[in-house]
Amino acid sequence: MNCEQIAELLPDYLQDSLGHDQRAMVEAHLQSCDQCGEEVALWQKLSLLPEEQPSPALRARFKATLDAFQEGCSERRGVAKEKRSLLSGLLGGGWLRMPAAGLAWAVLLLVIGFLAGRSMNSPSATSTPDMAKLQSDLADMRRLVTLSLLQQQSASERLQAIAQATAWSMSEQHADPKVLAALVHTLHSDSSVDVRLAAVDALGRYHNQPEVRKGLLDALQGRQSPMVQVALIDLMVDLKDSSVVPQLKKFEQDRDVNPDVRKHAQWGIRQLI
Amino acid sequence: MSQVRSGVGEMLGVLFDRYQMPLFNFFYKLTGNRTMSEDLVQEVFFRILKYRQSYRPGTPFRAWMYQIARNTRVDFFRKQRPEVSWEPEMEPVVMPGDSAQQKQETDMLYRALLQMPEEKKEVLILSRFQGLKYEEIAQLLGCEVNTVKTKVHRALQELRELFHKPGSQRSGKGTRLEGTIGS
Repeated sequence: MNCEQIAELLPDYLQDSLGHDQRAMVEAHLQSCDQCGEEVALWQKLSLLPEEQPSPALRARFKATLDAFQEGCSERRGVAKEKRSLLSGLLGGGWLRMPAAGLAWAVLLLVIGFLAGRSMNSPSATSTPDMAKLQSDLADMRRLVTLSLLQQQSASERLQAIAQATAWSMSEQHADPKVLAALVHTLHSDSSVDVRLAAVDALGRYHNQPEVRKGLLDALQGRQSPMVQVALIDLMVDLKDSSVVPQLKKFEQDRDVNPDVRKHAQWGIRQLI
Repeated sequence: MSQVRSGVGEMLGVLFDRYQMPLFNFFYKLTGNRTMSEDLVQEVFFRILKYRQSYRPGTPFRAWMYQIARNTRVDFFRKQRPEVSWEPEMEPVVMPGDSAQQKQETDMLYRALLQMPEEKKEVLILSRFQGLKYEEIAQLLGCEVNTVKTKVHRALQELRELFHKPGSQRSGKGTRLEGTIGS
């Protein structure tokens, strides 16, 4: 092969994603071509450049800015609260109930109401996060963190993401559908059996949601490790979900299925019928 | 209420712990300037907080984060007054235990990297140091995966040329390392 043909394969070779034959072809070329060989050597040498540490000041500055950001939120809220209490003081004051010209008071109240409305809609007031806004901020950030951790290369970090997602969702009334979708994806495609097993546990709590239920059933039908299949059967039996029975019958009759899974499927059928 | 508010900060803290190092190294290898890199890292995290809803679940998080990082850098340079120039600090690359020759080669490699045009340097840093897959870089740059592969190859060719450029304190040719990828 010449350099031009190798050039098409070289980037995949650098990320170690070529098949055996193509890799052998590239390596044969590298033995005979100084130029391409040196490019690969330089790629490898780049790993000699050390990973630099930011100064400790970066973390301190981050924390300080974060604190200021949070205090900024509470200050703005404080200002809005003062405005509201002033208005309620005016509106609730006994002097308003004094017998006087009713029409004049009504006009005054209208004016105050108008001003109050303007005041509440002023930029400082609208940017004040109320509880709902803060809750939604928190949900957004939790989702972002969970989804980013589920994409980590290390299985232990992905396990941590599932544990955190479970803990957070237990403290809330509704699980985040996007996080649930990511967990279903993890159950189907994560490279680690441990992570997929953790996903089974986490998703079991949301079995009442149609997408989760479908995801669990699909995972049982797909190509899975026997451990995950057994865990899924256990879960369905615990949840008394008899919709899984047809799939368990298939397992029971399929000689290619792992013997432990078949035995477990037979047990599951007995429990559910 | 304050619990919820500190929860938002805590979440940002989790991302900071996880990504401050890779982001710092991304900026530092691009610019060669430590102070500016730290400023940029700081800014990225607050943009993550600000633009968190623009992340689309199901897409690579890192591609989204580095997109923010790239935009942060572009904006930073746009805001700089023209008279302020950020020169690379060109700190010597110190690695204990290296031979004198290794130290010299590493230093030359670092200089060659810093001299590369931005676009090529960036693609090399993302793929080699930040560990992004070509698919993620393609998403980040808004191009085809094959285009990314071509860019990586061209960047390596340029790095080789700069490494051998007269004046880069190097004579002779060929510093082939023995060994192959994945072996």
